Parts: sequence; C-alpha cells; structure tokens
Amino acid sequence: MPMQRRHSAFLFAVTLWAPVAFAQATPPSGTSDGAPSEAAEPDDAAPGDSEPAPAAAATEAKPPPRTETDDVFSELESSLSGPSSPARSEPTRAKPAGQRGAQSLNPDLAFIADFAAAWFSEREHAQTGGHDPTRTGMNLQALELNARSVVDPYLRFDANLVFAEDGVELEEAYATTLDLPLGLQARFGQLLTRFGRINSTHPHAWDFADQPFALGRIFGAEGNRGLGAEASWLVPLPWYTELVGTVLHADGEGSARSFYGSQELHVDSVTDLLYVTALKQFFELHENWSLLWGLSAAFGPNPNGPDNRTAVYATDLYLKYRPITRESTTQVTWQTEVMHRRRQIPDALLWDVSGYSQVFWRFARRFGAALRYEYGSPAYYASGVVARDPLDPEWTDTRQRMSAALSHWPSEFSRFRLQASRDAGGPTRGVWAAFLTAELVVGAHGAHTF
Amino acid sequence: MSRWIAVLFGWLVLCVSWQASAAVVVVTSTADLASIAKEVGGANVEVTSLALHTQDPHFVDAKPHLAMKLAKADLLVIIGLDLEVGWLPTLQTGSRNGKIQAGADGFLDCSEFVKILEVPAVKVDRSQGDVHPQGNPHYMLDPRQAARVTKGIADRLAKLDAAHADAYRKNALNFIRKLGKATKGWEAQLAKAKGQKVVAYHKSIVYFADWLGLDVVEYIEPRPGIPPNPHHVTHVIEVAKGAGVKSVLQEAYYPSKNSELIAKQTGATLVKIPGAPDFKGGKSYIQHIDGVVRQLAKIYP
Repeated sequence: MPMQRRHSAFLFAVTLWAPVAFAQATPPSGTSDGAPSEAAEPDDAAPGDSEPAPAAAATEAKPPPRTETDDVFSELESSLSGPSSPARSEPTRAKPAGQRGAQSLNPDLAFIADFAAAWFSEREHAQTGGHDPTRTGMNLQALELNARSVVDPYLRFDANLVFAEDGVELEEAYATTLDLPLGLQARFGQLLTRFGRINSTHPHAWDFADQPFALGRIFGAEGNRGLGAEASWLVPLPWYTELVGTVLHADGEGSARSFYGSQELHVDSVTDLLYVTALKQFFELHENWSLLWGLSAAFGPNPNGPDNRTAVYATDLYLKYRPITRESTTQVTWQTEVMHRRRQIPDALLWDVSGYSQVFWRFARRFGAALRYEYGSPAYYASGVVARDPLDPEWTDTRQRMSAALSHWPSEFSRFRLQASRDAGGPTRGVWAAFLTAELVVGAHGAHTF
Repeated sequence: MSRWIAVLFGWLVLCVSWQASAAVVVVTSTADLASIAKEVGGANVEVTSLALHTQDPHFVDAKPHLAMKLAKADLLVIIGLDLEVGWLPTLQTGSRNGKIQAGADGFLDCSEFVKILEVPAVKVDRSQGDVHPQGNPHYMLDPRQAARVTKGIADRLAKLDAAHADAYRKNALNFIRKLGKATKGWEAQLAKAKGQKVVAYHKSIVYFADWLGLDVVEYIEPRPGIPPNPHHVTHVIEVAKGAGVKSVLQEAYYPSKNSELIAKQTGATLVKIPGAPDFKGGKSYIQHIDGVVRQLAKIYP
C-alpha cells in the first residue's frame, strides 16, 4: 500500500473510531441496562449516536480491535471523500467469497417436457390443440427446447423447438428489437402472434393440460403463428396501452386454418397476407388487483373463392387477484376470450362465435384448482340459419366443454396435474376425458410474461 | 376541426412531458435499492421500485405497467445474481428502452460491488433446490454490503449525470458515514447475539447472519425454494431444541405457519424481517435494519 493511502486509511480509522469511543463513554440514555430503548421510534439517527454500546465500560481503556465493518466503511469513506477523479469514480469491487459462475456467450437453454396419461370415453373426440393429449394411454405432449440470448445491443433472439412423437417442429424463432425510438418495437421471424391472450403462450403457462378448442377451431392446432414481422407501439398514455400489428403468410393448416390453411397459394399482392392487429391495455386497479384487456383482429384471404376473405375479431379479459401487500400465496385469476369469425364463401357469409372463460385459484403454495367453460356456436349464414361449415362440416350445433383441473407444484420446476372434462355438441357426441400430466422444467428457465 | 387540432396538440404536449424530465429517472428492482438510490440521488433523481417491500423478489409479476416505468428510466438498478431472472428480463425487453438493457450504462447490477457469499465451488443443479449458481443474492440485509452498493450507485449516477457528480458523491459519503455509525451501534446492541444459534426460513438470512455472527443451525425450507413438509418441520424442531435456539428468522413475505409452529414448539421467538424498507411509505434503509435489530435485541438483550 502506498504511504499516502496508508496515512489516509489511518486518519479515517481514527475518524471512525472517535465518535464510537465518545458514545461509549457517554452515560446511557435508554434503559438502565443499556438495552435499546423500545419506546423510541426508529429513525435515521444512527444507533451509534444515541444508543451507547453495552460493552463500553469494558473497552474504555483501549480502542476496540478493527473489524470488517471498520475496514469496509473506512475504505468507502476514503474513496468518496477525496477530490473526484476518473480513478476515484471507478466502482470499488469487493472480492467475492468464491469464484463467480463461469462466463459464457452461449444462449440460455431450457427443456420443458410435458407428458400425459389420458383416457377418453370415445375413440372419436375433438381435441384441437397441437399439444393436447389425443389418445387413451400415454402421450408426449411436447418436449420444448427454449433458447434465448441477446444478439447485440439492438436485438435479442428467442427460439422454441418442439420435439413430438412425430418429429421436430420449429415453433418460434424470432428477433426482438431492444432500442427503437418513440416506444416502438419490432419482432420478426417465425412467431406466435399476440392475438388474444392464450395464443402467444406455451403449455407451460396454461392452467389446463389442453388449449381451448376455439383456438384450434379458428387458427389450427398450433395457434396463429407463422413467418412474418410484428411492430408494436407503447402508446404514451397514462395507463399501459400497446398497439400491435403483425403481417404473416396466410397459409398453414395448423396455424392459419381459417385463412389459406393447408393450401399453399401464392402471395401475389399484399392482400394475400394475413394481418393481425391487437390493442392491449393494462389497469392496476389496486396493488393486489390487475386487469388486462385486449382487442384483437385478424384479416386475410381464404381459399373458398376468388377474393374471399376471413376476419376474426376477439376480445380478451384477464383479471388477477394476488395479494402482494401482505404475506400470501393466494392467487385468483379470471380469464376470458371471445372470438367472432366471419368468412366469405361464394355468394354467402358465414359467421360463428367461440370462446372460453376460466377461473384459476392457487389456494396453497403448492396447489391450484381451475375450472373452465368453453363455447362454440355452429357456423351461421348472415340470415341466422345454421350453415354447413366447409372446415367443420359436422359442427352443426353448439359445442360446450367443461373442464376442471387440480395442479400440484412440488417445486417451481415441476408440476403434476389431474384434469377431467366433458365435451358435447359440435363435432363431438359427448366425450368424457381425464388426464394426468407431468411437466418438468430443466435449465435456465426464462422470465414469465404477465 | 380546431377542436381536433387542440386535442392533438395537447396529446403531443403530454407525450413530450412524458418523455422529458429534468431529474435522472432511476428504477430499482427492490425497495431497499430504491431507498439507497434516493439517499444518493437526493433531489436530482426520481426513484421507483418495481417490487413492493412486501413482495418476494423472486416472484414478482411482470405487470405491463412496470415496463412503462422502465421505458422512462435512465438507470435500472438490480440486485443481480439471478434474483430477478424470473420476471425482470420480460420487463426490460418490453420497455423498449435501450438505455437500461444489460451492458448499457443505464443498467447497474449491484452484485458486482459486494462480497458474495455461497458461491458454489462445485457444479450445482436443481436437486439442491432453487439455488443461485453465481452466489447468494440476499446481500442487502448486511449494511456493509449496502454501503458498497451505495458507492456503486453514486459512481454510476455521477457517470450518467456529470453535472451533479459531486452532489452524488457527497450524498453517498454522508449516507455511508451515517450507516457506518449505525452499523457499529447495531453491532454493539447485538453483541450478545454473536455465536447464537438460530433457525431461518430461507437462505436469504445468510448475509445477515454473517454480519452479526449468528449461527444458522437449520433452515425451515428443506432446500431453497422447496416448501417445508411435516417431516422436515419435525426435524427442524428437534434440531432447534437440541441447539437451544432462541430465535426463528424469516422474511415477512414467506408463509409463517411453520415458523410459528417451530417457534412455539421450541420456545423461540419468531422474528419477521420485512423484505425491504417501505420505500413508498417513506421508510429508509437505516430504519429498516434498525427495526430488525430492535426485534433481535429484545431476544438477546
């Protein structure tokens, strides 16, 4: 240590010690036994100032031995009290007690595995989700490999590869901008659109083992996704308002069912693309109560006839009660989505309504229960007469499904779920189903969205 | 038409005022960091904490309006060591604010300033619970680490807002002096607690125990983040009785049912430690630690 620094360290040690020693010599002002005064309100006054150290008498004769506390504070005071200079402005880094984790430029990786033992009362059923249990017996719902990393100061990258029994699927692979001006952000690549609430989420975030049938009915087993680009704007309003616009290819049986679907028709003009727009608004009703309300719409061509188009309008509501102003493990959420689809077919217009409403109650730290009601009308002509839907010709009456689920989390990284449901109407003729699912999360699991 | 122009103009003014602010806008992940940042920044900063002092900082909901706060931030101050990894990255990305992304000057991970404990020397996995591979992140219960954080924040504010650099350093120095005196006082108050055996709920107490020389003989969580089961609670009671434990320590945001049971069965006193100072309510970091020390001083007078 240079001589000058040694001097200053000594001076500050004396400075630090002096008031302590003085306080030790002062008669106690608190309780007679030198214990802290319980009546006194805690305030910013340093206890060393107002409350004498009980051990004062024993150490009056000589200064107390230097402690780590003395060293830490004298070093910090020393570094801050001198004239500021570039050298002094450098942060003081404490020596860690051990080695920090090895640095790596590899992306964060996580595997999420979902397995299900399932039973259906009928061999013919109408599960519509790509990750739903679909057969009596054992099911691999999905093995998802999630990779994410920043690309550079301007972009981050996220990818989800899904391994299923029939192969590997690129679910998502997209870049997100980090620093566009004026509250703008862009995503591009293969992405799930932010249509509604559940479409952009993965099974890990669901309260049930299967996805609402409305999503599969309208967009297909994989939900609304595809190659394309999204722009969003954080509207400068006093409450959270986000405007989202996405453009995608309009084909894909599993992701654009109400549009081109499995027919790979060419893009000859901008009207041959699928456009999705959404307005997301968040209201913090109270610190313990949150409300997210969304409006979404999707527009694109369908293959029923020349210039025939499909439009899907939806609204979603997510109300969450989670006490955070006191100790509690309770969470209650109410989530509802309603979708209204209008499709042109030659010389006619078809419309239908689908949706679901579900309540989830985490009643203990390890347990949660959920109840869901789903509804799907048949397709109607504009006149209100039931139509023969070219996509679901057997869906000629109202379909309703009730599901109940009980989830158990042994830890944050595993979940077991028991679910039962009754599905009737539409393409089904009354199906009971029961699932017992297991989910495992390993690796660097990413952050959750709200 | 003129009405619409007036509305548009008003909105533009709102937008500009929303973006522009004379003070440095500081957003912290936790309320204890907010308290320190305010001590350092004084009138030159606006400070907001994303998590309430009553919230478990591991599990904060990434509510969209928090991204709005980050969108306006000049500086994001975090605990680091993966404490906020389950929620903060979503908000950072959603903020669209390049200034506070990791690696930028407006992003400050305070773990770089502290003496980190419990850095695993061997490979860790989740069989050990929700472990933090880079070390224990609960350092703010040790005022010595808080002092180091204070200087780190002052240095960063001085870099971001050079016009007030001297004020930040002066504020930091004053606060560190005050905290230093308080710390010596607290240590004197709790001199008899040194070496005492305690039970704690979560490994969040490690730095606090290290500072005061407490000996944590058992944790109520069998492993970090794993809720206790009856078998483990029985084990903790046996250990606590055998060791003559006088206090059970836990952060107030953890469920207290098992801690109360253990305290009752062993004759120990349950000490509920607020997760952080009530920053929104005007409580300071020193008041926060002082409150904890007062609780313990009753047990170890």
